[in-house]
Amino acid sequence: MSSARRIRALYRALLDQQLTKSRLLLIGGFSVLALVLALSIGSQVEPDSRTEAIVGFLSVYGLGFMVPILSLLFASTTLGQLVEDETLVYLWLRPNPRWQLALAAWAAAATIALPIAVIPLSAAAAIGTGGDGGIVAATGLSMGLAAVGYSGLFVLLGLVFRRALLWGLVYIFIWELFVARAGAGAARLSLNTYPHSVLARLTDIELPLAERSMAAGLIVPVVLAGLSVAATAWWLNRAEIT
Amino acid sequence: MTVDAEEVDPSAAAARSVPADASVVLRQVSKSFGPLVAVSDIDLVVRPGITAILGPNGAGKSTLLRLICGLAKPTTGSVWVAGGNPRFDDTARGHIGLVPQQDGVFERQAALETVTLAATLSGLENPEAQARRALNTVELDPDLGRPVGTFSKGMRQRVKVAQALVHDPTVLVLDEPLNGLDPRQRQHMIELFRRLGDAGRTVLVSSHVLDEVERFGSRVVVVAKGRLVAEGDFHEIRDLLDTQPHRLRVNCADARSLAAELIRSSAVLGCDIVDDETVELTTDDVRAARRLLLAAGRNLDQTLHAITPLDDDLESVFRYLVGRSA
Repeated sequence: MSSARRIRALYRALLDQQLTKSRLLLIGGFSVLALVLALSIGSQVEPDSRTEAIVGFLSVYGLGFMVPILSLLFASTTLGQLVEDETLVYLWLRPNPRWQLALAAWAAAATIALPIAVIPLSAAAAIGTGGDGGIVAATGLSMGLAAVGYSGLFVLLGLVFRRALLWGLVYIFIWELFVARAGAGAARLSLNTYPHSVLARLTDIELPLAERSMAAGLIVPVVLAGLSVAATAWWLNRAEIT
Repeated sequence: MTVDAEEVDPSAAAARSVPADASVVLRQVSKSFGPLVAVSDIDLVVRPGITAILGPNGAGKSTLLRLICGLAKPTTGSVWVAGGNPRFDDTARGHIGLVPQQDGVFERQAALETVTLAATLSGLENPEAQARRALNTVELDPDLGRPVGTFSKGMRQRVKVAQALVHDPTVLVLDEPLNGLDPRQRQHMIELFRRLGDAGRTVLVSSHVLDEVERFGSRVVVVAKGRLVAEGDFHEIRDLLDTQPHRLRVNCADARSLAAELIRSSAVLGCDIVDDETVELTTDDVRAARRLLLAAGRNLDQTLHAITPLDDDLESVFRYLVGRSA
């Protein structure tokens, strides 16, 4: 039987475990808030500074809070929940290479994180700017890159740490929001700097943390996701399973 | 110096001394969690058929089974299962079916989905048909659409057994598999495991209940405090247990005179007078001691109100075996 069939089976099983009513409500809440705030900003700010205001809002609300927090919520529980309820053993013991489980977990997390990052925030960009296609595209791309990178990182975090949600929030609120903004070296170790750079360069608007090149902004989140999948597979190989 | 079992090739080390008909081999396996030694220096060869791992709660049975499945890495020693080290060897792992002790299952899936997933991941052709067969084997309706999370403990246990059986493993590892099952289901499972054992599968089953193990009619490995303290067929173990000293409490009218009468017999190893109306005696022959008590009661013309065995529980048996092996 092909690897693709096994990965698909793992992916579907992991995805099924993710979508609960309370999580869907949370996604809905974040999305509606994004649209309402974008509408409010779009209607209150003067037309010539509207784009700057909306991109600034997307940088803070979208890249700063919504995408990392929702990615954390879903990705950290993709394997973390299986560790918690001791069901990982049913997947781990089957005769498959670990990378297949790691890849399926990332894919399941990204499948949820991508649309909840891209669709409502692109819609917010469209509402706030009155349908500026360039801003909408830049928003969709940068949010998508963030979701891809965070999904990989937080799947690993959920597997390694027992209180992954807490550690993830510490990373988002302490490291990315404060430490990364304090110095160039720390900023380089912040995932957020890369999609910020893509958003800033595509919209021509200055944003904090947006100090990387366009190429780095496009490549690093994807590479980070790949490295996270590799690290997840390595951890699954070494871990003791209960 | 201790050698990390994974610094060398453990399967190769174990394979050097693997008997031809063995399906599971443990060589000097120990497992520690910090200062706690869960499994200590176990040498074990398991062949096809049923082998019961008997031990009290906390004896290290589950850790031993986790080591056999490759779920935990030994601190020292090596594990070999069906041709390889299950921690690293996909093929060896493919030969194992595990029913873990923990209750966790994929709560949101239907039973058929859970078992089909197991079949797919084991690389079976037509996984759904195989899953239906496995569910029928454990007497669970494959078309029961509701999530496993809503199942009773017994039904969940049967789902766990079905996912372990679906790929027809050569080594079936069952950690307290009868937990939560009603008597009829217990009997059905025991018969199923016996059939698998008779068909040449290696069935490793853990239990802390002596009577349960007796019904498997199997070879028994007794584990206590992380050590293998006895092994043999059930009757050998039972005989071994019968050689341990037993204690009886007797409630009577006059403990002092009864004790004086009893201590003269060679069947009584010792007597403790607990109070005026209670005496506890130690014997290595319970039947002889009971006969002696009745005779003593008649001789002394006193009524014996109660004769209670003090150490007929499994814990005391294990204590005895641990002391004996030490």
